[in-house]
Amino acid sequence: MAQQSKKSKSRLWFLVHSWLALPIWFFVLIVCVTGTLAVVSQEIVWLANPDVRASKPNDDAERLSFQQVLDALKQAEPDMAVRYISQPDGSHFALNAAVTFPDGTAPILYVNPYTGAIQGKSPDFNFEGFTRALHGWWLVPFTNGYSWGWYLVSLLGLPMLASLVTGLVVYKRFWKGFFKPTLRFNHGARIFWGDFHRLSGIWSIWFIAVISITGTWFLIQALLADNHITLSTEPITPVIAREDVPLSDSKAPVPRIDLDEATRIATTQVPGLDVTFAQLPSNAYGHIYLGGRGWYPLMFQTASVNPYTRKVDASFLVGDRSALEFVTESMRPLHTGDFGGLAIKLIWAFFGLLLSMMVLSGLLIWTKRTAQATAAALKRADRTPRATKVTGEAATEMQP
Amino acid sequence: MSQARDAVTAPSPLKQWWLKWRFHLNILLLLIPLGFMPKYFADAKMFRGESGLGANPIENIAVGPWSISLSELLAEAPRQDGPAGYFKAFNASLCSSCGSEVKAAYLRIGKPRSLRAAGTIFFGNPHRMSTSLPVPARTRADAELWITLEGWDGSLHQASVPLAKASPATLAWLNKQGGKP
Repeated sequence: MAQQSKKSKSRLWFLVHSWLALPIWFFVLIVCVTGTLAVVSQEIVWLANPDVRASKPNDDAERLSFQQVLDALKQAEPDMAVRYISQPDGSHFALNAAVTFPDGTAPILYVNPYTGAIQGKSPDFNFEGFTRALHGWWLVPFTNGYSWGWYLVSLLGLPMLASLVTGLVVYKRFWKGFFKPTLRFNHGARIFWGDFHRLSGIWSIWFIAVISITGTWFLIQALLADNHITLSTEPITPVIAREDVPLSDSKAPVPRIDLDEATRIATTQVPGLDVTFAQLPSNAYGHIYLGGRGWYPLMFQTASVNPYTRKVDASFLVGDRSALEFVTESMRPLHTGDFGGLAIKLIWAFFGLLLSMMVLSGLLIWTKRTAQATAAALKRADRTPRATKVTGEAATEMQP
Repeated sequence: MSQARDAVTAPSPLKQWWLKWRFHLNILLLLIPLGFMPKYFADAKMFRGESGLGANPIENIAVGPWSISLSELLAEAPRQDGPAGYFKAFNASLCSSCGSEVKAAYLRIGKPRSLRAAGTIFFGNPHRMSTSLPVPARTRADAELWITLEGWDGSLHQASVPLAKASPATLAWLNKQGGKP
Protein backbone atom coordinates (compact mmCIF):
# COMPACT_ATOMS: atom_id res chain seq x y z
CA MET A 1 0.00 0.00 0.00
CA ALA A 2 2.80 2.37 0.98
CA GLN A 3 4.59 1.36 -2.19
CA GLN A 4 1.46 2.10 -4.17
CA SER A 5 1.00 5.56 -2.69
CA LYS A 6 4.67 6.41 -3.21
CA LYS A 7 4.33 5.42 -6.81
CA SER A 8 1.17 7.41 -7.38
CA LYS A 9 2.72 10.38 -5.65
CA SER A 10 5.70 10.22 -7.91
CA ARG A 11 3.36 10.00 -10.89
CA LEU A 12 1.52 13.01 -9.56
CA TRP A 13 4.75 14.99 -9.29
CA PHE A 14 5.55 13.93 -12.79
CA LEU A 15 2.21 15.19 -14.08
CA VAL A 16 2.58 18.45 -12.16
CA HIS A 17 6.03 18.90 -13.69
CA SER A 18 4.69 18.10 -17.14
CA TRP A 19 1.86 20.58 -16.94
CA LEU A 20 3.64 23.48 -15.22
CA ALA A 21 4.66 25.56 -18.20
CA LEU A 22 1.55 24.66 -20.10
CA PRO A 23 -0.62 25.99 -21.56
CA ILE A 24 1.49 29.14 -21.72
CA TRP A 25 4.66 27.51 -23.04
CA PHE A 26 5.13 29.95 -25.89
CA PHE A 27 4.91 32.94 -23.56
CA VAL A 28 7.47 31.30 -21.24
CA LEU A 29 9.73 30.58 -24.22
CA ILE A 30 9.63 34.17 -25.49
CA VAL A 31 10.33 35.50 -21.99
CA CYS A 32 13.38 33.20 -21.76
CA VAL A 33 14.64 34.15 -25.24
CA THR A 34 14.20 37.90 -24.72
CA GLY A 35 15.86 37.58 -21.31
CA THR A 36 18.84 35.87 -22.93
CA LEU A 37 19.04 38.62 -25.54
CA ALA A 38 18.73 41.31 -22.88
CA VAL A 39 21.75 39.93 -21.00
CA VAL A 40 24.02 40.48 -24.00
CA SER A 41 22.07 43.35 -25.61
CA GLN A 42 24.86 45.83 -24.85
CA GLU A 43 27.40 43.53 -26.52
CA ILE A 44 25.13 43.01 -29.54
CA VAL A 45 24.92 46.77 -29.96
CA TRP A 46 28.70 46.98 -29.57
CA LEU A 47 29.11 44.51 -32.45
CA ALA A 48 26.53 46.22 -34.64
CA ASN A 49 27.31 49.88 -34.04
CA PRO A 50 30.93 51.16 -34.21
CA ASP A 51 29.83 54.40 -32.49
CA VAL A 52 29.62 52.68 -29.11
CA ARG A 53 33.19 51.33 -29.25
CA ALA A 54 36.06 53.00 -27.40
CA SER A 55 38.63 52.97 -30.17
CA LYS A 56 42.10 54.12 -29.16
CA PRO A 57 43.55 56.73 -31.51
CA ASN A 58 47.08 55.43 -30.79
CA ASP A 59 48.75 52.99 -28.44
CA ASP A 60 49.78 55.43 -25.77
CA ALA A 61 46.57 57.43 -25.71
CA GLU A 62 45.28 58.09 -22.20
CA ARG A 63 41.71 58.28 -21.02
CA LEU A 64 40.37 61.76 -20.41
CA SER A 65 38.91 62.79 -17.09
CA PHE A 66 35.19 63.52 -16.88
CA GLN A 67 35.81 67.26 -16.81
CA GLN A 68 38.05 67.03 -19.88
CA VAL A 69 35.27 65.13 -21.64
CA LEU A 70 32.74 67.73 -20.53
CA ASP A 71 34.99 70.52 -21.86
CA ALA A 72 35.33 68.71 -25.19
CA LEU A 73 31.55 68.33 -25.41
CA LYS A 74 30.99 72.01 -24.59
CA GLN A 75 33.45 72.98 -27.29
CA ALA A 76 31.79 70.76 -29.88
CA GLU A 77 28.23 71.79 -28.98
CA PRO A 78 28.25 75.01 -26.94
CA ASP A 79 24.43 75.21 -26.60
CA MET A 80 23.98 71.65 -25.48
CA ALA A 81 23.31 70.81 -21.81
CA VAL A 82 24.95 67.70 -20.35
CA ARG A 83 22.97 65.73 -17.76
CA TYR A 84 25.43 62.97 -16.93
CA ILE A 85 28.50 61.14 -18.21
CA SER A 86 29.02 57.46 -17.50
CA GLN A 87 31.44 54.71 -18.38
CA PRO A 88 29.60 51.46 -19.17
CA ASP A 89 31.05 48.34 -17.54
CA GLY A 90 34.02 47.47 -19.77
CA SER A 91 36.69 49.76 -21.17
CA HIS A 92 35.84 48.69 -24.74
CA PHE A 93 32.65 50.74 -24.51
CA ALA A 94 32.55 54.43 -25.39
CA LEU A 95 31.40 56.88 -22.73
CA ASN A 96 27.69 57.63 -22.58
CA ALA A 97 26.80 61.29 -22.25
CA ALA A 98 23.15 62.11 -21.68
CA VAL A 99 22.51 65.53 -23.17
CA THR A 100 19.70 67.93 -24.03
CA PHE A 101 19.80 70.06 -27.16
CA PRO A 102 18.17 73.51 -27.38
CA ASP A 103 15.26 71.97 -29.34
CA GLY A 104 14.49 69.78 -26.31
CA THR A 105 15.65 66.48 -27.79
CA ALA A 106 17.50 64.42 -25.21
CA PRO A 107 19.60 61.61 -26.71
CA ILE A 108 22.60 59.72 -25.33
CA LEU A 109 25.84 60.66 -27.11
CA TYR A 110 28.61 58.09 -27.55
CA VAL A 111 31.86 59.84 -26.69
CA ASN A 112 35.39 58.59 -27.29
CA PRO A 113 37.04 58.30 -23.84
CA TYR A 114 40.50 59.14 -25.27
CA THR A 115 39.69 62.11 -27.50
CA GLY A 116 36.35 63.39 -26.24
CA ALA A 117 35.03 63.25 -29.79
CA ILE A 118 31.29 62.68 -30.25
CA GLN A 119 31.14 59.41 -32.20
CA GLY A 120 27.41 59.25 -32.61
CA LYS A 121 24.08 59.47 -30.83
CA SER A 122 21.65 56.84 -29.64
CA PRO A 123 19.51 55.60 -32.53
CA ASP A 124 15.72 55.95 -32.54
CA PHE A 125 15.37 52.24 -31.92
CA ASN A 126 16.97 51.41 -28.59
CA PHE A 127 17.70 47.68 -28.84
CA GLU A 128 18.78 47.33 -25.20
CA GLY A 129 15.73 49.18 -23.95
CA PHE A 130 13.38 47.26 -26.19
CA THR A 131 14.59 43.76 -25.26
CA ARG A 132 14.52 44.70 -21.58
CA ALA A 133 11.02 46.16 -21.83
CA LEU A 134 9.73 43.13 -23.71
CA HIS A 135 11.36 40.72 -21.26
CA GLY A 136 10.63 42.71 -18.12
CA TRP A 137 7.07 43.95 -18.58
CA TRP A 138 5.85 42.62 -21.89
CA LEU A 139 5.72 46.25 -23.15
CA VAL A 140 2.70 46.99 -20.96
CA PRO A 141 3.10 50.69 -20.00
CA PHE A 142 3.57 51.82 -16.41
CA THR A 143 0.64 54.11 -15.73
CA ASN A 144 -0.08 53.77 -12.04
CA GLY A 145 2.66 51.99 -10.11
CA TYR A 146 4.02 48.81 -11.66
CA SER A 147 2.69 47.73 -15.03
CA TRP A 148 0.49 44.63 -15.03
CA GLY A 149 2.88 43.21 -17.63
CA TRP A 150 5.57 43.26 -14.94
CA TYR A 151 3.32 41.15 -12.71
CA LEU A 152 2.55 38.82 -15.62
CA VAL A 153 6.24 38.13 -16.30
CA SER A 154 7.46 38.05 -12.70
CA LEU A 155 4.70 35.60 -11.74
CA LEU A 156 6.50 33.07 -13.96
CA GLY A 157 9.18 32.82 -11.26
CA LEU A 158 6.84 30.63 -9.22
CA PRO A 159 6.05 27.92 -11.81
CA MET A 160 9.72 27.98 -12.78
CA LEU A 161 10.77 27.28 -9.21
CA ALA A 162 8.11 24.57 -9.01
CA SER A 163 9.43 23.09 -12.27
CA LEU A 164 12.89 22.89 -10.79
CA VAL A 165 11.70 21.23 -7.58
CA THR A 166 9.30 18.76 -9.21
CA GLY A 167 11.88 18.05 -11.93
CA LEU A 168 14.43 17.02 -9.32
CA VAL A 169 11.84 14.98 -7.43
CA VAL A 170 10.82 12.94 -10.46
CA TYR A 171 14.37 12.55 -11.79
CA LYS A 172 15.48 9.64 -9.60
CA ARG A 173 19.07 9.99 -8.37
CA PHE A 174 19.65 12.94 -10.65
CA TRP A 175 23.17 13.47 -9.27
CA LYS A 176 24.24 10.35 -11.12
CA GLY A 177 23.67 12.33 -14.32
CA PHE A 178 26.67 14.48 -13.48
CA PHE A 179 29.00 11.47 -13.59
CA LYS A 180 27.32 9.62 -16.42
CA PRO A 181 26.10 12.26 -18.86
CA THR A 182 23.68 10.72 -21.32
CA LEU A 183 22.75 12.28 -24.63
CA ARG A 184 21.60 9.67 -27.13
CA PHE A 185 21.51 10.94 -30.68
CA ASN A 186 20.47 7.86 -32.58
CA HIS A 187 17.40 6.67 -30.70
CA GLY A 188 14.91 9.04 -32.22
CA ALA A 189 13.81 12.56 -31.38
CA ARG A 190 11.83 11.69 -28.25
CA ILE A 191 14.83 10.01 -26.56
CA PHE A 192 17.20 12.78 -27.63
CA TRP A 193 15.02 15.57 -26.29
CA GLY A 194 14.39 13.63 -23.08
CA ASP A 195 18.14 13.21 -22.52
CA PHE A 196 18.75 16.82 -23.46
CA HIS A 197 16.07 18.05 -21.06
CA ARG A 198 17.49 16.04 -18.16
CA LEU A 199 21.15 16.77 -18.88
CA SER A 200 20.73 20.51 -19.33
CA GLY A 201 18.36 20.46 -16.36
CA ILE A 202 20.87 19.13 -13.87
CA TRP A 203 23.65 21.42 -15.08
CA SER A 204 21.25 24.36 -14.87
CA ILE A 205 20.01 23.69 -11.33
CA TRP A 206 21.90 26.68 -9.94
CA PHE A 207 20.87 28.94 -12.81
CA ILE A 208 17.18 28.03 -12.74
CA ALA A 209 17.22 28.54 -8.97
CA VAL A 210 18.87 31.97 -9.35
CA ILE A 211 16.55 33.11 -12.13
CA SER A 212 13.34 31.86 -10.55
CA ILE A 213 14.15 33.20 -7.08
CA THR A 214 15.26 36.59 -8.39
CA GLY A 215 12.28 36.59 -10.76
CA THR A 216 9.98 36.01 -7.79
CA TRP A 217 11.75 38.85 -6.02
CA PHE A 218 10.67 41.16 -8.88
CA LEU A 219 7.10 40.14 -8.07
CA ILE A 220 7.62 40.92 -4.38
CA GLN A 221 9.34 44.18 -5.27
CA ALA A 222 6.33 45.29 -7.31
CA LEU A 223 3.92 44.24 -4.56
CA LEU A 224 5.92 46.21 -1.98
CA ALA A 225 6.21 49.31 -4.18
CA ASP A 226 2.54 49.28 -5.14
CA ASN A 227 1.65 49.10 -1.48
CA HIS A 228 4.08 51.94 -0.69
CA ILE A 229 6.38 49.84 1.46
CA THR A 230 10.08 50.60 1.18
CA LEU A 231 13.01 48.58 2.49
CA SER A 232 15.58 51.19 1.45
CA THR A 233 17.88 52.74 4.00
CA GLU A 234 19.36 55.12 1.44
CA PRO A 235 19.11 58.64 2.83
CA ILE A 236 17.10 61.11 0.80
CA THR A 237 19.51 63.95 0.12
CA PRO A 238 17.68 67.24 0.57
CA VAL A 239 18.34 70.00 -1.93
CA ILE A 240 21.07 72.46 -0.94
CA ALA A 241 19.78 75.05 1.49
CA ARG A 242 19.07 78.46 0.01
CA GLU A 243 21.61 80.16 2.29
CA ASP A 244 24.37 77.80 1.09
CA VAL A 245 24.05 79.07 -2.47
CA PRO A 246 25.80 82.44 -2.72
CA LEU A 247 24.16 85.35 -4.53
CA SER A 248 25.79 86.49 -7.72
CA ASP A 249 27.01 90.06 -8.13
CA SER A 250 25.95 89.95 -11.74
CA LYS A 251 23.31 88.10 -13.72
CA ALA A 252 25.77 85.29 -14.38
CA PRO A 253 25.72 82.06 -12.37
CA VAL A 254 27.86 81.66 -9.26
CA PRO A 255 30.87 79.49 -10.12
CA ARG A 256 30.66 75.88 -9.02
CA ILE A 257 33.46 73.33 -8.68
CA ASP A 258 34.07 71.18 -11.74
CA LEU A 259 33.63 67.42 -12.08
CA ASP A 260 37.29 66.59 -11.52
CA GLU A 261 37.43 68.63 -8.33
CA ALA A 262 34.22 66.98 -7.14
CA THR A 263 35.68 63.55 -7.94
CA ARG A 264 38.87 64.41 -6.08
CA ILE A 265 36.93 65.57 -3.01
CA ALA A 266 34.63 62.54 -3.06
CA THR A 267 37.36 59.94 -3.52
CA THR A 268 39.54 61.50 -0.77
CA GLN A 269 36.71 61.79 1.73
CA VAL A 270 34.91 58.55 0.90
CA PRO A 271 37.46 55.71 1.01
CA GLY A 272 36.89 53.04 -1.59
CA LEU A 273 34.65 55.15 -3.82
CA ASP A 274 35.18 54.39 -7.48
CA VAL A 275 33.75 56.98 -9.86
CA THR A 276 32.41 55.63 -13.16
CA PHE A 277 29.54 58.06 -13.56
CA ALA A 278 29.05 61.74 -12.81
CA GLN A 279 25.69 63.43 -12.82
CA LEU A 280 25.67 67.21 -13.06
CA PRO A 281 23.49 69.23 -10.67
CA SER A 282 19.90 69.09 -11.86
CA ASN A 283 19.34 72.70 -10.82
CA ALA A 284 21.06 75.48 -8.85
CA TYR A 285 20.26 73.71 -5.58
CA GLY A 286 21.45 70.28 -6.72
CA HIS A 287 24.54 68.24 -5.92
CA ILE A 288 27.14 66.67 -8.17
CA TYR A 289 26.24 63.01 -7.85
CA LEU A 290 29.11 60.58 -8.35
CA GLY A 291 29.45 56.86 -8.05
CA GLY A 292 30.52 53.46 -9.26
CA ARG A 293 30.67 49.83 -8.27
CA GLY A 294 31.79 49.00 -4.76
CA TRP A 295 34.06 46.22 -3.55
CA TYR A 296 30.98 44.05 -3.61
CA PRO A 297 30.39 44.25 -7.35
CA LEU A 298 26.62 43.79 -7.15
CA MET A 299 26.17 47.19 -5.54
CA PHE A 300 26.93 50.76 -6.45
CA GLN A 301 28.38 53.33 -4.07
CA THR A 302 27.52 56.98 -4.47
CA ALA A 303 28.37 60.39 -3.06
CA SER A 304 26.67 63.78 -3.37
CA VAL A 305 29.14 66.67 -3.46
CA ASN A 306 27.95 70.17 -2.72
CA PRO A 307 29.36 72.25 -5.62
CA TYR A 308 29.47 75.46 -3.51
CA THR A 309 30.70 74.32 -0.07
CA ARG A 310 32.81 71.39 -1.45
CA LYS A 311 31.39 69.15 1.23
CA VAL A 312 30.26 65.57 0.69
CA ASP A 313 26.66 66.08 1.86
CA ALA A 314 25.66 62.44 1.52
CA SER A 315 27.09 59.09 0.60
CA PHE A 316 25.72 55.58 0.33
CA LEU A 317 28.26 52.79 0.52
CA VAL A 318 28.13 49.00 0.51
CA GLY A 319 28.60 49.05 4.31
CA ASP A 320 25.62 51.36 4.75
CA ARG A 321 23.18 48.75 3.53
CA SER A 322 21.09 46.80 6.01
CA ALA A 323 21.37 43.00 6.02
CA LEU A 324 18.01 42.78 4.28
CA GLU A 325 19.11 45.24 1.59
CA PHE A 326 22.19 43.14 0.97
CA VAL A 327 19.87 40.36 -0.10
CA THR A 328 17.26 42.40 -1.92
CA GLU A 329 19.71 44.66 -3.74
CA SER A 330 21.67 41.64 -4.97
CA MET A 331 18.59 40.24 -6.67
CA ARG A 332 18.56 42.38 -9.79
CA PRO A 333 22.25 41.96 -10.76
CA LEU A 334 21.98 38.23 -10.05
CA HIS A 335 19.07 38.09 -12.47
CA THR A 336 20.69 40.15 -15.23
CA GLY A 337 24.28 38.94 -14.79
CA ASP A 338 25.73 42.42 -15.26
CA PHE A 339 28.08 42.47 -12.30
CA GLY A 340 31.32 40.93 -13.51
CA GLY A 341 32.00 42.08 -17.03
CA LEU A 342 31.74 40.09 -20.21
CA ALA A 343 32.59 36.65 -18.76
CA ILE A 344 29.62 36.56 -16.39
CA LYS A 345 27.30 37.91 -19.08
CA LEU A 346 28.36 35.14 -21.46
CA ILE A 347 27.75 32.50 -18.79
CA TRP A 348 24.30 33.98 -18.12
CA ALA A 349 23.52 34.12 -21.84
CA PHE A 350 24.64 30.51 -22.35
CA PHE A 351 22.46 29.21 -19.55
CA GLY A 352 19.65 31.49 -20.67
CA LEU A 353 19.81 29.85 -24.06
CA LEU A 354 19.89 26.44 -22.40
CA LEU A 355 16.83 27.38 -20.34
CA SER A 356 15.01 28.48 -23.50
CA MET A 357 15.93 25.14 -25.05
CA MET A 358 14.58 23.38 -21.96
CA VAL A 359 11.21 25.04 -22.43
CA LEU A 360 11.26 23.94 -26.05
CA SER A 361 12.48 20.39 -25.33
CA GLY A 362 9.96 20.12 -22.50
CA LEU A 363 7.23 20.99 -24.96
CA LEU A 364 8.50 18.49 -27.51
CA ILE A 365 8.53 15.74 -24.88
CA TRP A 366 5.11 16.80 -23.74
CA THR A 367 3.59 16.61 -27.21
CA LYS A 368 5.19 13.22 -27.77
CA ARG A 369 4.49 11.67 -24.40
CA THR A 370 2.42 13.52 -21.86
CA ALA A 371 -0.47 14.04 -24.21
CA GLN A 372 -0.62 10.29 -24.82
CA ALA A 373 -0.01 9.48 -21.17
CA THR A 374 -2.83 11.76 -20.09
CA ALA A 375 -5.14 10.30 -22.68
CA ALA A 376 -4.22 6.82 -21.44
CA ALA A 377 -4.81 7.85 -17.83
CA LEU A 378 -8.21 9.14 -18.84
CA LYS A 379 -9.08 5.84 -20.45
CA ARG A 380 -7.94 3.91 -17.38
CA ALA A 381 -9.93 6.18 -15.15
CA ASP A 382 -12.96 5.43 -17.22
CA ARG A 383 -12.49 1.70 -16.82
CA THR A 384 -11.35 1.15 -13.22
CA PRO A 385 -13.07 3.18 -10.51
CA ARG A 386 -10.22 2.46 -8.03
CA ALA A 387 -7.63 4.18 -10.18
CA THR A 388 -9.95 7.10 -10.46
CA LYS A 389 -10.10 7.31 -6.70
CA VAL A 390 -6.32 7.40 -6.36
CA THR A 391 -5.94 10.08 -9.00
CA GLY A 392 -8.87 11.93 -7.55
CA GLU A 393 -7.32 11.99 -4.09
CA ALA A 394 -3.99 13.00 -5.49
CA ALA A 395 -5.59 15.81 -7.41
CA THR A 396 -7.19 17.19 -4.28
CA GLU A 397 -3.92 16.80 -2.44
CA MET A 398 -2.02 19.00 -4.82
CA GLN A 399 -4.49 21.82 -4.55
CA PRO A 400 -3.24 24.31 -2.01
CA MET B 1 -5.52 14.97 -13.41
CA SER B 2 -8.47 17.22 -13.34
CA GLN B 3 -9.53 15.60 -16.57
CA ALA B 4 -9.56 12.26 -14.81
CA ARG B 5 -12.23 13.59 -12.53
CA ASP B 6 -14.05 15.20 -15.39
CA ALA B 7 -14.16 11.87 -17.12
CA VAL B 8 -16.31 10.43 -14.39
CA THR B 9 -18.36 13.52 -13.59
CA ALA B 10 -20.02 15.26 -16.50
CA PRO B 11 -17.73 18.12 -17.65
CA SER B 12 -19.34 21.52 -17.43
CA PRO B 13 -19.53 23.60 -20.63
CA LEU B 14 -17.00 25.99 -19.09
CA LYS B 15 -14.54 23.15 -18.50
CA GLN B 16 -15.04 21.88 -22.03
CA TRP B 17 -14.43 25.35 -23.36
CA TRP B 18 -11.23 25.61 -21.28
CA LEU B 19 -9.95 22.22 -22.43
CA LYS B 20 -10.57 23.16 -26.03
CA TRP B 21 -9.12 26.66 -25.97
CA ARG B 22 -6.45 26.67 -23.25
CA PHE B 23 -3.51 26.59 -25.66
CA HIS B 24 -4.86 29.65 -27.42
CA LEU B 25 -3.80 31.53 -24.28
CA ASN B 26 -0.37 31.65 -25.92
CA ILE B 27 -1.76 33.64 -28.81
CA LEU B 28 -3.64 35.99 -26.49
CA LEU B 29 -0.46 36.54 -24.46
CA LEU B 30 1.51 37.31 -27.62
CA LEU B 31 -1.08 39.83 -28.73
CA ILE B 32 -0.37 41.89 -25.60
CA PRO B 33 3.12 43.17 -26.57
CA LEU B 34 2.06 43.52 -30.19
CA GLY B 35 -0.84 45.70 -29.13
CA PHE B 36 1.29 47.84 -26.85
CA MET B 37 4.15 48.25 -29.32
CA PRO B 38 2.91 51.53 -30.91
CA LYS B 39 2.40 52.98 -27.42
CA TYR B 40 5.89 51.79 -26.39
CA PHE B 41 7.55 53.51 -29.34
CA ALA B 42 5.48 56.67 -28.91
CA ASP B 43 6.52 56.82 -25.24
CA ALA B 44 10.17 56.18 -26.12
CA LYS B 45 10.00 59.05 -28.62
CA MET B 46 8.43 61.30 -26.01
CA PHE B 47 11.14 60.55 -23.45
CA ARG B 48 13.80 61.33 -26.07
CA GLY B 49 12.13 64.74 -26.32
CA GLU B 50 11.23 64.27 -29.97
CA SER B 51 7.51 64.84 -29.53
CA GLY B 52 7.95 68.41 -28.31
CA LEU B 53 7.75 69.70 -24.77
CA GLY B 54 4.54 67.85 -23.93
CA ALA B 55 0.78 68.24 -24.29
CA ASN B 56 -1.10 71.56 -24.43
CA PRO B 57 2.03 73.72 -24.55
CA ILE B 58 1.76 77.40 -23.68
CA GLU B 59 4.64 79.06 -25.51
CA ASN B 60 6.73 81.99 -24.34
CA ILE B 61 4.97 83.10 -21.18
CA ALA B 62 6.61 86.42 -20.27
CA VAL B 63 8.05 86.34 -16.74
CA GLY B 64 9.74 89.68 -16.09
CA PRO B 65 12.65 90.05 -18.49
CA TRP B 66 12.55 86.35 -19.30
CA SER B 67 10.11 83.96 -20.88
CA ILE B 68 9.25 80.32 -20.37
CA SER B 69 7.24 77.67 -22.22
CA LEU B 70 5.10 75.38 -20.10
CA SER B 71 3.49 72.10 -21.00
CA GLU B 72 1.93 69.16 -19.22
CA LEU B 73 3.85 65.91 -19.73
CA LEU B 74 0.70 63.95 -20.57
CA ALA B 75 -2.81 65.14 -21.42
CA GLU B 76 -4.33 63.34 -18.49
CA ALA B 77 -5.64 63.80 -14.96
CA PRO B 78 -3.25 63.97 -11.99
CA ARG B 79 -1.96 60.61 -10.80
CA GLN B 80 -2.13 59.44 -7.23
CA ASP B 81 1.17 58.67 -5.55
CA GLY B 82 -0.08 56.67 -2.59
CA PRO B 83 -0.72 58.60 0.60
CA ALA B 84 1.23 61.60 -0.75
CA GLY B 85 -1.77 62.63 -2.83
CA TYR B 86 -2.25 63.58 -6.47
CA PHE B 87 0.53 64.89 -8.71
CA LYS B 88 0.70 66.32 -12.18
CA ALA B 89 3.94 66.36 -14.19
CA PHE B 90 4.79 69.57 -16.08
CA ASN B 91 7.66 70.33 -18.44
CA ALA B 92 9.17 73.72 -19.16
CA SER B 93 11.87 75.32 -21.27
CA LEU B 94 13.46 78.72 -20.84
CA CYS B 95 14.09 81.21 -23.62
CA SER B 96 17.43 80.57 -25.29
CA SER B 97 19.08 83.77 -24.04
CA CYS B 98 17.82 83.60 -20.45
CA GLY B 99 18.98 80.11 -19.57
CA SER B 100 22.20 81.33 -17.99
CA GLU B 101 20.53 84.07 -15.94
CA VAL B 102 17.78 82.03 -14.34
CA LYS B 103 18.86 80.24 -11.21
CA ALA B 104 15.67 78.29 -10.58
CA ALA B 105 12.07 77.96 -11.72
CA TYR B 106 9.11 77.05 -9.52
CA LEU B 107 5.50 76.11 -10.11
CA ARG B 108 2.57 76.43 -7.72
CA ILE B 109 -1.21 76.46 -7.74
CA GLY B 110 -2.21 79.89 -6.41
CA LYS B 111 -0.03 82.93 -5.89
CA PRO B 112 2.99 82.27 -3.66
CA ARG B 113 3.33 84.58 -0.67
CA SER B 114 7.13 84.41 -0.71
CA LEU B 115 10.05 82.73 -2.44
CA ARG B 116 10.08 80.13 0.30
CA ALA B 117 6.58 79.09 -0.75
CA ALA B 118 7.22 79.40 -4.48
CA GLY B 119 6.10 75.80 -5.02
CA THR B 120 7.84 72.82 -6.55
CA ILE B 121 11.23 73.43 -8.11
CA PHE B 122 11.95 72.38 -11.70
CA PHE B 123 14.69 69.81 -12.30
CA GLY B 124 16.65 69.54 -15.51
CA ASN B 125 18.30 72.12 -17.71
CA PRO B 126 17.07 75.29 -19.43
CA HIS B 127 16.18 73.36 -22.60
CA ARG B 128 13.94 70.92 -20.85
CA MET B 129 13.07 70.73 -17.20
CA SER B 130 10.28 69.10 -15.31
CA THR B 131 8.49 69.12 -12.02
CA SER B 132 5.80 67.17 -10.27
CA LEU B 133 3.09 69.51 -9.03
CA PRO B 134 0.87 68.45 -6.13
CA VAL B 135 -2.77 69.01 -7.07
CA PRO B 136 -5.15 68.87 -4.09
CA ALA B 137 -8.51 67.39 -5.03
CA ARG B 138 -10.22 70.50 -3.63
CA THR B 139 -8.44 72.88 -6.01
CA ARG B 140 -10.84 75.43 -7.54
CA ALA B 141 -11.60 75.05 -11.21
CA ASP B 142 -10.56 78.67 -11.87
CA ALA B 143 -7.20 78.28 -10.12
CA GLU B 144 -4.09 79.86 -11.62
CA LEU B 145 -0.72 78.21 -12.09
CA TRP B 146 1.98 80.54 -10.83
CA ILE B 147 5.47 80.43 -12.29
CA THR B 148 8.27 81.98 -10.24
CA LEU B 149 11.69 82.55 -11.79
CA GLU B 150 14.64 83.34 -9.53
CA GLY B 151 17.71 85.04 -11.01
CA TRP B 152 21.30 84.35 -9.97
CA ASP B 153 21.41 87.98 -8.78
CA GLY B 154 18.50 87.34 -6.42
CA SER B 155 15.83 88.98 -8.57
CA LEU B 156 12.36 87.40 -8.62
CA HIS B 157 9.74 87.48 -11.34
CA GLN B 158 6.33 85.89 -11.51
CA ALA B 159 3.61 85.14 -14.03
CA SER B 160 0.49 83.02 -14.06
CA VAL B 161 -1.56 80.99 -16.50
CA PRO B 162 -5.01 79.46 -15.91
CA LEU B 163 -4.73 75.84 -14.78
CA ALA B 164 -7.65 75.06 -17.10
CA LYS B 165 -5.56 76.18 -20.07
CA ALA B 166 -2.36 74.40 -19.01
CA SER B 167 -4.17 71.14 -18.34
CA PRO B 168 -7.78 70.73 -19.49
CA ALA B 169 -7.68 67.11 -18.28
CA THR B 170 -6.89 68.31 -14.75
CA LEU B 171 -9.83 70.70 -14.92
CA ALA B 172 -12.13 67.87 -16.00
CA TRP B 173 -10.78 65.76 -13.15
CA LEU B 174 -11.31 68.59 -10.63
CA ASN B 175 -14.89 69.02 -11.79
CA LYS B 176 -15.45 65.32 -11.20
CA GLN B 177 -14.02 65.62 -7.66
CA GLY B 178 -16.72 68.20 -6.97
CA GLY B 179 -13.93 70.73 -6.39
CA LYS B 180 -15.18 73.31 -3.93
CA PRO B 181 -12.91 75.63 -1.95
